[in-house]
Amino acid sequence: MSGMTGVSARNRVLLGAVLRVEIADELRSILREPTALLFSVLMPVGFFALFVSIFGGYDAGAIPAGTRMLATFGTFGVLSVTLMNPGVGVAQDRELGWLRAKRVSAVPVGVTLLAKIAAALPYAVGVLVAMTVTAALTGSLSASPAELLRVLGVLLVGSVPFALFGVAVGFRLRANAAAAVLNAVLMPAAVFSGLWMPLRMLPDFFADVAILLPTHHLARLALAQLDGGQVFGHVAVLLGSTAVAATAAGLSYRYARL
Amino acid sequence: MRTVLDARDVWFRYGSTDALRGVDLRVDAGECVALLGANGAGKTTLVNLATGLLSARHGALRTAGGDPRRAAVRRHLGVVQQSFGLPKALKVRELVTGAAVRCGRPAATAGPVLAELGLGELAGRGAAELSGGQQQRVRLAMALVNEPALLILDEPTAGLDVSARRHFRRVVERRRAEGTGVLVTTHLIEEAAAVADRIVVVDHGAVLADEPPGALANRLPDRTVTARTSLSRSGLNRLPGVISVEMRGTTVRLGTRAPEALLRELLDADPGVSDLRVEGAGLEESVVALTDAAAPGNGTEEPEVAL
Repeated sequence: MSGMTGVSARNRVLLGAVLRVEIADELRSILREPTALLFSVLMPVGFFALFVSIFGGYDAGAIPAGTRMLATFGTFGVLSVTLMNPGVGVAQDRELGWLRAKRVSAVPVGVTLLAKIAAALPYAVGVLVAMTVTAALTGSLSASPAELLRVLGVLLVGSVPFALFGVAVGFRLRANAAAAVLNAVLMPAAVFSGLWMPLRMLPDFFADVAILLPTHHLARLALAQLDGGQVFGHVAVLLGSTAVAATAAGLSYRYARL
Repeated sequence: MRTVLDARDVWFRYGSTDALRGVDLRVDAGECVALLGANGAGKTTLVNLATGLLSARHGALRTAGGDPRRAAVRRHLGVVQQSFGLPKALKVRELVTGAAVRCGRPAATAGPVLAELGLGELAGRGAAELSGGQQQRVRLAMALVNEPALLILDEPTAGLDVSARRHFRRVVERRRAEGTGVLVTTHLIEEAAAVADRIVVVDHGAVLADEPPGALANRLPDRTVTARTSLSRSGLNRLPGVISVEMRGTTVRLGTRAPEALLRELLDADPGVSDLRVEGAGLEESVVALTDAAAPGNGTEEPEVAL
């Protein structure tokens, strides 16, 4: 029994060390070749700056529109990093043969994926911080630090199913194709979920579609941290989405040509 | 002698095609075995099975004493794979220390390996800045950093210049002398002969021969008698036992299966003959003869028949 515990403890230490190396490698790769990720960061922040400077002061009920947009544009900003970066990264590693090399060297694929997602998170935080500063500079920020932290936490945790979906795509397609497919999913999902413009400003059809999209539910869950809206339905949809995305990622890996 | 790779009656199928057909293969500690065969012969499939990337449809395969599909077993393997690129953004030292940690070794073990492979001065360089030969040295360093029980090299010197190839062989030879078992796949006969204790010839997924290079070269009874002579082609053709004649000026190459009788007749026919030499048919001819005999359509597809 104590022998088994010893082996298990040694394995945990080993996996911890491997995870640290994997995260360090991912962060180095991003820092040394930041072009793709900069696009993922700058575009949503630029969009936010444009929209919040025009509509941020509008009264959208109890809180200013600019503050609500932190939740909606924030959802788009976080997903533009966490959906794209792990998925495209997996596709690049697969093309290079690097994923295969890691598998041969006994690195569990879960550790590789966890590292990719973890390495994307600082950039997702950066997006939200930049948006918060922009909202404050335009005078449309009206939220306590605790509320802002809750929005941040919800968006980071809530981005997991999207990261898994990106990875599922990355296991099947080449890097360029994966980036194109994930963009083709994110952009319409952002529009139909009301991430760029409130659904009440769009035709009713958009709201009918939005209810089916996990992106919409993530934005609503983030918004609930600011306006106290209901959360359980959105959490349920996101948990279901996580299960589906995890299954898709698992199957995609199983049949991937490494 | 400890066995570090033991494959018994291994079968593997891609779709409806048998990629491996009852392969037996053994590599002992401190032994270098070359897996020789044309592209598509089944070499890489066998490597993929030995590294746990694939599972055999039938048969048993153990590496470093265990099932290579288990991560704990793979930590005792060192593998240089065909067509495996290095992430451009990472530096040499980071790649090799990362490989050490992934196999459960301290990062510090990378230092001596970098020095052994002459990568010390390149340690701070990005992978994108390295030449093909330097990149291959990095791959070898990554494979050696865990002091593997079995080193698997899949076409390791493809694209390397002569000097890099020699350096590569020296490092592998040193590790083998220290007890590491080595399995090297290649389609280059001279490469196999240069490094291996045994050559395993595979073709269409079956093992055709498993012998030391010398024994393999002597499989064919054919010999070549080379000499300088003034005899004409027709005169040479009339000599007993001659089965082929090649002439280049006064130098001739005579194929025969009875070299002693031929030499006596040749000396009788031309007392002025000089530069006499008798050679075996050679490794290449032996391997070609083996694979030709086993080729589909020759009615000798089973290796037992071919041999």
